[in-house]
Amino acid sequence: MAYIRKRNRKIFLIFMMPAVLVLFGTTIYPMLYAGYLSFRSYDLAKLFVPRVYVGWANYREILSSSEFLHTLIVTFKLMAMTLSVQLVLGVGIALLVTQRLPGMGVARTLLLIPMMISPVIVGLVWLFLYFPELGYLNYFLSFLGLGPYAWITSTDWALWAIAIADIWQWTPFVMMGTAAALTNLSPEPFEAAKLDGNSPFDVFWRVTLPQIRPVLISLMFLRAIDAFKIYDIIFVLTKGGPGDTTEVLSMFIYRQSFTFWRMGVGAAASFVSLVIIVVLITLFFKSLNRDPHQA
Amino acid sequence: MSSIELKKVVKRYGAVDVVHGIDLEIAEGEFVVLLGPSGCGKTTTLRMIAGLEDVSDGELSIGNQVVNAVAPKDRGVAMVFQNYALYPHMTVRQNMEFALRPLRLARSETDRRINETAVLLGLDELLARRPSQLSGGQRQRVAMARALVRTPDVFLFDEPLSNLDAKLRTQVRLEIGKLHKRLGTTIVYVTHDQVEAMTLADKIVIMQDGHIEQTGSPQEVYTRPRNRFVATFIGSPAMNIVPATISDGKLVGDHVSVEIPERFKKRVQAGQKVEFGIRPTEISLLDGAEQATATARVEVTEYLGDEALLDLRIGSQELIAEVPANQCPAEDAEVRLRFNPEALHIFDAETGMSLENQAR
Amino acid sequence: MKHFKTLVVAGAVSLVCGGLASAGEFDDVELKMLAIGDTSVTRLAPIVGEFEELTGAKVQIDQFPYPGLIDKIVIEASANTPSYQLMWVDSPWVGVLGESGALEDLTDLVKRDAAEINLDDIVPIQLQENTWQGRLLAFPASGMIWHQNYRKDLYEHPDEQAAFKAKYGYDLAPAQTWDQYIDIAEFFTRKAGDTLAGETLEKDFYGNAQAYSRVAGAITHDFFPIMRSFGGQYWDPETGLCAMDGEAALAAAEVMKKLVAFNPPDYLGLMWDIRTGYMERGETAQSSYWSVRTVRLTNPDEAVLPTIGEAGYAPSPTGDGNAQPTMTGALSFGINSKATEREKEAAWAFIKWGTSRDMMRRFANEGSGVSQFHKSILSDAGLQEKYPYYQVLLDTQENAQRRIFHPFYADVEEVFGVELNKYMAGETESAQEALTNACTKINTRLKVFPQDMRLRWIADPKAEIFN
Repeated sequence: MAYIRKRNRKIFLIFMMPAVLVLFGTTIYPMLYAGYLSFRSYDLAKLFVPRVYVGWANYREILSSSEFLHTLIVTFKLMAMTLSVQLVLGVGIALLVTQRLPGMGVARTLLLIPMMISPVIVGLVWLFLYFPELGYLNYFLSFLGLGPYAWITSTDWALWAIAIADIWQWTPFVMMGTAAALTNLSPEPFEAAKLDGNSPFDVFWRVTLPQIRPVLISLMFLRAIDAFKIYDIIFVLTKGGPGDTTEVLSMFIYRQSFTFWRMGVGAAASFVSLVIIVVLITLFFKSLNRDPHQA
Repeated sequence: MSSIELKKVVKRYGAVDVVHGIDLEIAEGEFVVLLGPSGCGKTTTLRMIAGLEDVSDGELSIGNQVVNAVAPKDRGVAMVFQNYALYPHMTVRQNMEFALRPLRLARSETDRRINETAVLLGLDELLARRPSQLSGGQRQRVAMARALVRTPDVFLFDEPLSNLDAKLRTQVRLEIGKLHKRLGTTIVYVTHDQVEAMTLADKIVIMQDGHIEQTGSPQEVYTRPRNRFVATFIGSPAMNIVPATISDGKLVGDHVSVEIPERFKKRVQAGQKVEFGIRPTEISLLDGAEQATATARVEVTEYLGDEALLDLRIGSQELIAEVPANQCPAEDAEVRLRFNPEALHIFDAETGMSLENQAR
Repeated sequence: MKHFKTLVVAGAVSLVCGGLASAGEFDDVELKMLAIGDTSVTRLAPIVGEFEELTGAKVQIDQFPYPGLIDKIVIEASANTPSYQLMWVDSPWVGVLGESGALEDLTDLVKRDAAEINLDDIVPIQLQENTWQGRLLAFPASGMIWHQNYRKDLYEHPDEQAAFKAKYGYDLAPAQTWDQYIDIAEFFTRKAGDTLAGETLEKDFYGNAQAYSRVAGAITHDFFPIMRSFGGQYWDPETGLCAMDGEAALAAAEVMKKLVAFNPPDYLGLMWDIRTGYMERGETAQSSYWSVRTVRLTNPDEAVLPTIGEAGYAPSPTGDGNAQPTMTGALSFGINSKATEREKEAAWAFIKWGTSRDMMRRFANEGSGVSQFHKSILSDAGLQEKYPYYQVLLDTQENAQRRIFHPFYADVEEVFGVELNKYMAGETESAQEALTNACTKINTRLKVFPQDMRLRWIADPKAEIFN
């Protein structure tokens, strides 16, 4: 018996090993290495820059840099823009497609398409739409006698241009989650409200919304994490410009790491952003615990 | 309080009719129970009255006003749903408040109504609780309170007791009965449980396959079923049905022969194929030398305390008899039976219609 | 027939290459080149088969857009085992690549093969462009200067000439000063429906197209030449620190700011290719840019302009109208220092073949052409007629200055790109603030290093190959 148990444990370890190695090799090691790098001066391009331990210098530089603060503000601004619109639109469309109306099943499926497209492609699609001289958006606006507008190169519009592309891509995600939550709601309380004569607004605000609130919080949270890491669409559309109006956190990290080749600073910035995400998560679960509707 | 009238009301889903032009009158203050097996159209009928389903054809009136095109909220009806349909995130008080919201009452009036209703239904201690903190019976009472607080003209119940256990069911059933007596509101109540129907109803409407089979008081439908379906649906255990032929003034079946009661004699012809029905309680065991209706073998006995149920076999025919427990024979025993001729029902074998003179 | 053709081509090419590389010499070598998708490469890429026929070496050229190319090269240079033996190099990169030892020193090879490659015929500044600490690290495949292109047909239109004279009090001619350049830009900025050269415009016409995009520091590629034309310098010769916030830089920033009004509305997004696109489609009156793209203006296959008008070419305007040394640049081929000796040999053979005078003349004759760097080609009367800008190239390079070649060039390009773009977009109050911000950021990084090192980085000793 003892022999078999010992043998089984060996087999267990052998079978576990590949997964552990993959996890270690692809996640844990790079993260530890990034942690190590964040305390060092490490220039990938300029081999003559000494690669030495610099203590907290990289972190000090980031946290005292107005540029970093700016990207943080832009990131949260963009997050607020996309999340609020995605929430309103996503819930609105979900309410529509969950009605028993003809064509809603097809509409629901079609609406999911943007979500399945790679963000880079989404960026390119919108690039073609926004392009000032040749873009479709200005082309159609020209029929109304408007434009041409410089969508992605205007300091007023660029962030909205990105937000719109992101909203276009991710509203379906909110819609899908909300629609699933709505479908799961028992229909009878709504019938009761109908008999009682509660207005649709009252019913939505006081019956529907409170019941799907936990789902909406989860959806918004997932979107917030994604929005915090937004990169591809911006890289394709504006690369952070014009000026620094669309310079988000991930662009900052990218620039430090792969334009200036300051891998240490880039790694430190990554860790700072990780901390911010962790704080977000903690706040989220705290807010869930405070949810008055949880029994 | 309102009367309700259905004239040739049809409910159609696509090409399928689920309610086939039913006629029904419900008087003010009447407690009407729609009774029938699942799929008979009783809930659909109730939902049409509520306005949750459109009337495909025919005319539906509440309080002498045709309401086919009237919105649910304007019909003066309140409904208690099978699953209570409480707002899970609201307290008992908020549930009731929300039902009152459209009435735009003054704060004091709202509070007065809620407190009154809560006291009436014994919910006054529970007003701050959420549905998830209540028992099934309490939830049911909240559902009623929410319907009641609006003081509707018509009260609709959709199988309100089906989610409760047997003991609670009896208790809440009594409460509903008392409530009706106290308020006198018109009530339409859907159930598949005949005990609920018999105990609560002023009038029972028995439905099958989208048709009304019989309308009448509990006594009427029990003692004078209009057809074989009603006869077998009402009463537990169900009425025994025995195929027979009319011959020599007798109902002759397989190993069974019964004298035709006087009141039927003129309604049958020799050689006619019929079925006769006899409730289990109307079958008695003979121990003397009286003339027996039939001889049967006892297959199974079920002891119920005061009574016993006997599963009997006469030839190919199975019957159930209910006898005083002290008369209960041994299993496999041969017994001699008597069918009470006054309690005999005769149905046409083809149409299933009772041959008895119907009140209506 | 086919064989005959091959023979002729092979014969012609073997003449070009002299006796150095013989057929089959590099049968065992495969070369890969990390390159841009621009004229300096696109002309050559389709015919690398000829080099294989000649030497046996297989060459594969991978082409990428300019933005991001340096990133790939840096990563390639930091790899222990290279996958690219040949690298396309923009002359400003020699600093970072040279200081890191990523590129093979070509000095001795060039000296050895001086006659074969007609070293004396190459515009000297184009070679100097590719040196780091006096050593030649890459060989020019395309030589460029920054100059102005304009709509000759419009400038010579009598209506426009008269109107211009009436409005500005002097004759309409290619701008010699930036003030004139701004006047001309203003003059030619027209709305759809306005008249231009006697015809009604169907769409807006712009007075000017310059690159203002911050992407890959595009705006700096126009800004620094303008700064140079005001006499500005990159670095302080005393300290080796940033000098790009001086008066010349300020004047250059103001010129660009003033030109904004006469640019297409998406000026903040104008990259090099988008900016030259306006000129190539004939939608702007003038546009100053690097001559690598000027070649397209003469080719109806690549530009609309030759079919609807005519391009004119002139040296860059200057601050005071007096000649200033023009800024040059070279687009060049280098060899990865980590390649094997045999690969390096083959790579050098390829560079000689691909940049040879005969190859350049062939390109010029074929009509596509690249921005030339051989004096004999630029001064060829026949070719000058075909490519009127050759004379501008020849003249301006006489007294030219190198472009920036500092190891921190990537930082300069990115930081100034963003700061200038912010100023042009109106996010920064003044040009001074923008430039000071940029210089401060650069200096923060430079001050870590000792002054003698900083001074060495900006020193430009005469290339050894000239000794």
